[in-house]
Amino acid sequence: MLTLENIDAGYGPTTILQDVSLDVKEGEIVTIVGANGAGKTTTLRTIVGQIKPRAGKISFMGEDITRLPAHEVVDRGIILVPEGRQLFPDMTVRENLQMGTYRKAARDNQEQRLEEVLSLFPRVRERLDQNASSLSGGEQQMVAIARGMMAKPRILMFDEPSLGLAPIVVSQVFDVVRQIAATGTTVLIVEQNVFTTLKVAHRGYVLENGRVVLADTSEALLKNDHVRRAYLGI
Amino acid sequence: MSISDIQSGTGTKTRNLSWPQIAFGVLLASLLLIPLGIDNAFVSHVFITICLFAALSTAWNIVGGFAGQLSLGHAVFYGIGGYAGVILFNLGVTPWIGMFVGAAVAAVVGMLISYPCFRLRGPFYTLASIAFLEVIRVLSLHFKDLTGGATGLMIDLRLGWTWMVFRERWPSLLIVFGMLLLTLAVSWAIRRSRLGFYLVATRERESAARAAGVRTVRVRLIAVAISSALCAMLGTFHAMYLTFIEPAAMFALAFSIQIAMFALIGGIGTVAGPLLGAALLVPITEWARASLGSSALGLHGFVYGIVLIVCVLFMPNGIMGVIKRFSHKKAKAADEPAQTETDPIIAPASAFATPDPDRPGIGQDILKVENLNKHFGGLYVTRDVNFTLREGEVLGLIGPNGAGKTTLFNMISGFLAPDEGKVSVRGLDGQFHQPNNPADFAALGMGRTFQIVQPFAAMTVEENIMVGAFYRHPDEKDAREAARETAWRMGLGPLLNAEARGLTIGGLKRLEVARVMAMQPRVLLLDEVMAGINQTDVRRAIDLMLSIRDTGVSIIAIEHVMQAVMSLSDRVIVLASGEVIAEGRPQDVVRDPQVVEAYLGKEFAHAHA
Amino acid sequence: MTTFLQVLLNGLMLGGLFAIVAIGLTLIFGIVKVVNFAHGEFLMAGMFVTWLITTRLGLHPYASVIIVVPMMFLLGALTQRLLIQPLMSAEDDHVQIFATVGLSTAMINLALLIFGADIANTPNFGLRTPIEIGPVRVLTGQLYIFIAAIILVIALQLFLKNSQTGRAIRAVAQHRVAAELMGVNVPRIYILSFGLGAACVGLAAVLIAPLYPTSSNIGTYFVLTAFVVVVLGGLGSIPGAFFGALVIGLVDSLSGFYIGSDLREAVVFGIFLLILILKPSGLFGKRMTLSHLS
Repeated sequence: MLTLENIDAGYGPTTILQDVSLDVKEGEIVTIVGANGAGKTTTLRTIVGQIKPRAGKISFMGEDITRLPAHEVVDRGIILVPEGRQLFPDMTVRENLQMGTYRKAARDNQEQRLEEVLSLFPRVRERLDQNASSLSGGEQQMVAIARGMMAKPRILMFDEPSLGLAPIVVSQVFDVVRQIAATGTTVLIVEQNVFTTLKVAHRGYVLENGRVVLADTSEALLKNDHVRRAYLGI
Repeated sequence: MSISDIQSGTGTKTRNLSWPQIAFGVLLASLLLIPLGIDNAFVSHVFITICLFAALSTAWNIVGGFAGQLSLGHAVFYGIGGYAGVILFNLGVTPWIGMFVGAAVAAVVGMLISYPCFRLRGPFYTLASIAFLEVIRVLSLHFKDLTGGATGLMIDLRLGWTWMVFRERWPSLLIVFGMLLLTLAVSWAIRRSRLGFYLVATRERESAARAAGVRTVRVRLIAVAISSALCAMLGTFHAMYLTFIEPAAMFALAFSIQIAMFALIGGIGTVAGPLLGAALLVPITEWARASLGSSALGLHGFVYGIVLIVCVLFMPNGIMGVIKRFSHKKAKAADEPAQTETDPIIAPASAFATPDPDRPGIGQDILKVENLNKHFGGLYVTRDVNFTLREGEVLGLIGPNGAGKTTLFNMISGFLAPDEGKVSVRGLDGQFHQPNNPADFAALGMGRTFQIVQPFAAMTVEENIMVGAFYRHPDEKDAREAARETAWRMGLGPLLNAEARGLTIGGLKRLEVARVMAMQPRVLLLDEVMAGINQTDVRRAIDLMLSIRDTGVSIIAIEHVMQAVMSLSDRVIVLASGEVIAEGRPQDVVRDPQVVEAYLGKEFAHAHA
Repeated sequence: MTTFLQVLLNGLMLGGLFAIVAIGLTLIFGIVKVVNFAHGEFLMAGMFVTWLITTRLGLHPYASVIIVVPMMFLLGALTQRLLIQPLMSAEDDHVQIFATVGLSTAMINLALLIFGADIANTPNFGLRTPIEIGPVRVLTGQLYIFIAAIILVIALQLFLKNSQTGRAIRAVAQHRVAAELMGVNVPRIYILSFGLGAACVGLAAVLIAPLYPTSSNIGTYFVLTAFVVVVLGGLGSIPGAFFGALVIGLVDSLSGFYIGSDLREAVVFGIFLLILILKPSGLFGKRMTLSHLS
């Protein structure tokens, strides 16, 4: 469904990703794990077109999307729930969710989908008319995910959904991710929280210094010596 | 905008001059020799105008370029100089004295109006500078007794060198050329000195500059004072040259824009740029004004505007930027291909002592943190944090994201004032002090890195490290020497002349540590320096930390790489939701059920059991 | 007492005038995050075109709105597309500042080249006739400006609040990167917003031309005050700009009457500096915008 082939990318003269290849199949949950600064966020930003790769090719459903501007990538249903939530602070929660439906394919039946999405997030319903900035970190994360769901994603990508959240909230967030995946939505998730993520995902890629050093099923990665040493301190 | 290449050689006789330096020298000489040779009143006038604008622009560049404070109100200082000169002249005081009075007044006014404006960024500083210009213009119109109001002031007719007023043009040319040389010399000296490095560092990354012990407000005030004083002296000269001044001309926004514009077109933040800009544009416009006269009212201004637009769009670094790109290309072609990866860190003798809270080498307390509280709104970011750090000790600080670790670092380095509690550092005098700003913390020997690396992007690796090295070595040569030494020790040796913005994340992390190490700190605060670097580098970095520790430096390290935490730390503190939930030997802490729950996760505990 | 009332009313009317000039400026700043130093010259251009249409075609100056407003929209959109957009990613602020300063310089001098240094008086078609309101009087044209400013503020607020495009504009203003992730074509929103801001100042130009003589430097005269208003009202806030304008109008009028007309500018700019330094978020700003502070 989504394929990256030999991607090189970075900011300005700084190269971050080197020769990154990965693919996500329809209905899969795939994770990219790695340390801070390994290039996980850069990978996602390159996929959505916010960073233009220097080399390599990205395709989605057979179409080459390497050079498309971000809004056109999003228009094709590639939705990113960004790191640090990135809500619109001076808009209400409802307006934030409405912004989720900006992409053309998501504009009709807004009310109905709002109901569907809110059924996943009962807490968000109570907050609909509050300003997004008045919410707690966990609530904001839920709104960010709900906003992503509003866009009728064909693939939903999460960038560090557990970042800065209390452990109890983290498990709630992962519950939601599981529920979303259960509806058949394809998910690509980037996390530092290696174990929890690998437990949720089917397959995983390990990124170090901007390179894919390992790619395997989650089970195999959980048993891998290198993963255990590098990400568990074992 | 790096300091090296074009200008740096001009002062040292032993070095061979490169072609840009020769060209610059020729240009400078021709500014004097051509008008003297041709001896035509109009030509002389054009060259006097070039020298005047080049000098004003060079003076502006000290604030607008080096310090990056884009003032469009510099005519204030020029005007003050002009008025001081004329008013004193009419009281019988020679402008040779008047210009220094004007300079002093302008320096004071400059510091007074700049001080409250330093908090303002980018366009807001610019707007404030325009507003000050307007206020002063209106006031000068109002206080007619002093300034003559809108009718202006004419100087009494007194000729000769004493009065700086001449029938011929050449003495004026000599004077303004001399002033141009002086201004260039000042600008050049600043750029090479500690002050210049500090200004550029402050411009590029204020917080990193403060962490390097730079008193950012002070260095900017000094820059403003020098720049205003020079502008005022030029204003005095120009008033004598014009023999008549009025507020509309002396405090004009368009004039201020011109001054800044020449610097931009020549190359903002470079020593030679402002002169190049003025030398290129002034003749064109003066010629247009003279030959087309009133039929082309506004033509020269229109050309200026268009040139400005074209310049920002196509050569934002000005003529100097183009020259630099050109000369770099040539240099690159000649040299071997540039090395892009850093060398391995030269690991010193292996760490001998295994970490232990009571191993030999650990001395008395050096840092005390007591009941530190910080809240934003109702939310506590840190709550009653207490700990001490002993000399030569490595203290690991771990905890989940958002636990308040970086906030804690900000409070123990002076970047953030705690709401309650105190931080005290033992000075070299053996007494405990409670500093309250980054520079004072630095003065007590505290050095820190930033989690999100903060390089001075426009500087080379060497210059970045020099900013730290200047802290111990006020002289430029010593600082450069110390910076080189540090760079090699940190494995950055081959990259000394690379621009910081081109480094990889790993390189930037090392640069961050190198800059702080060049300050020779007694206490080192490291914020996730191992994040994002690979396994072999982590191991080398651990060795390096241990060697730093063994020189008697105390270290507090925020780290997620547990391997490093376990093998480095004498003690570990665990922070969760702003509170210390555990403290002790690393082996013990990782078994603490609370720590497992809040940070490590059950998987870690299982794997470890 | 009547004099005082008259001074107050003059201040309010002046406030309406400042408001209508400042609204476009604050709109552009709030969304594109660029301080348009050429804003006053946009006003000047609009006033010259109004003058041309009115004198050459003999139309009522207000009729030129159908040409001036679209023309200014185009000018603004082109400025964003050709000048600002290529500089959006620049690391240093100075290039964006110099870009609009350069545009301002070029436009002032172009006007000098075309129209010379003379003053252009737009026929006023009775807009300078005073209306008596009880004991005080006000120029018809001033009253229209005041009403137009109120309508413009409300219309913009409704547009930004309720339309899909308006919401997208606010999203871009609040979080550009996140807006992009929603599928918003951010460059297009910028072009639209800059055009919209310029169109607002086009409307202002049409309304102001019959009351004030047009000259190449008229822009500088108005725009410096508009900057004061925008900073006072909280950068990017449209209602803030309106109320900020009323405050400055009153200050201007009162200080002109009680302190002296030659010092009123100093008072206005003095207030500006105090606000910039002490409370950069503006009197009506909800919170600090970190973008312009250290």
